[in-house]
Amino acid sequence: MRLRLPPRQRIITFPPTVSSTSNPNKTALTVFLAALALIGGVLAAVFISAPKTTAIESGTLLQQPRALPAFSLVDESGAAFTNAQLQDRWTLIFPGFTYCPDICPTTLGLLKTVQAQLGERADALQVLLFSVDPERDTPEVLQRYVHFFSPAFRGATAPEPALREFAQALGVAYAKVPGETPESYTMDHSAALVLINPRGEIAGYFTPPHRVDALTRDLGALLESRS
Amino acid sequence: MNLRLIGLCAVLILTACSRTPPAAPQASDGWVRLAPPGTNVNAGYLRLHNNTSQPLRCDGADTTDFGAAEIHRTVVDDGQSRMLREQVIEVPPHGSAELAPGGYHLMLFRPQKALTVGDTVSVTLRCGETAVDAVLTVRAA
Repeated sequence: MRLRLPPRQRIITFPPTVSSTSNPNKTALTVFLAALALIGGVLAAVFISAPKTTAIESGTLLQQPRALPAFSLVDESGAAFTNAQLQDRWTLIFPGFTYCPDICPTTLGLLKTVQAQLGERADALQVLLFSVDPERDTPEVLQRYVHFFSPAFRGATAPEPALREFAQALGVAYAKVPGETPESYTMDHSAALVLINPRGEIAGYFTPPHRVDALTRDLGALLESRS
Repeated sequence: MNLRLIGLCAVLILTACSRTPPAAPQASDGWVRLAPPGTNVNAGYLRLHNNTSQPLRCDGADTTDFGAAEIHRTVVDDGQSRMLREQVIEVPPHGSAELAPGGYHLMLFRPQKALTVGDTVSVTLRCGETAVDAVLTVRAA
């Protein structure tokens, strides 16, 4: 049974207003309506002519994509990974390293789920683990690591100073933190994911905490609208 | 005044009752993420229940299934993901704490055997005078 309010409670009555039909008021009303129409028209024109932007909920899209300078990394197969590998597809760059048991596998596992949820749309998306630890992350290590999550995932790194130059161009910070033994150092690194558009430019950033649903919605919308 | 006295008695009786089974901190829902091949670090997660009336403070871990175990914590600080070492887990009386991805975790170094999904790893948390045994099951990534 639906509860219905008695009609009298739905009618809101005000004290009767003093209405006037004098000419000055009529003119004012006409001017007001004309102004309203004009504003509406202008707004519609702005809305129609505005460049199409996709709002994202899990990060920030740059208003002007930022070009990347020429760079050269080494990928998981030992081959060069340059600006050319960022062309004609979207790329999601995850800065991290393999000697990282918590956040790195958590994020890659999450991206694996996002990739699965995107279905066929994920074909236009490349996921790249950009290792900030070239000392330990040789191509072999990178390959074993990223392919464990998905055969489609890529990995790349570079020795200094190419590493720092590319990281700076991406807006990614990293720092080596010594451990108890020379081998047990760890790396601090930016927690954001960098989105590269099919022209190889920085399109935006996804900021933590990363969530499967939000990332899938955002990436799905981007892949559909601009690929 | 009388009410307070009754309340105090109730608390005392309840405390006495809860002592019937020896109250001890416990670990549950323990798991380890299946690590990529060749990886020699891993992370363990669990829930820690402090079933006692004393605060629990754990500052270390032992395991024979790995070369070493430490309590670490991942924090995102000013956009930077950092791993903090030598962490202490504090659990209030009758409270619980969660070791979960992206936060507190057991950093496990050098697995002593190849682990596959469903395998278990035994870890003992060092909490002052108390040792809390935990069983962690290997889960797919």
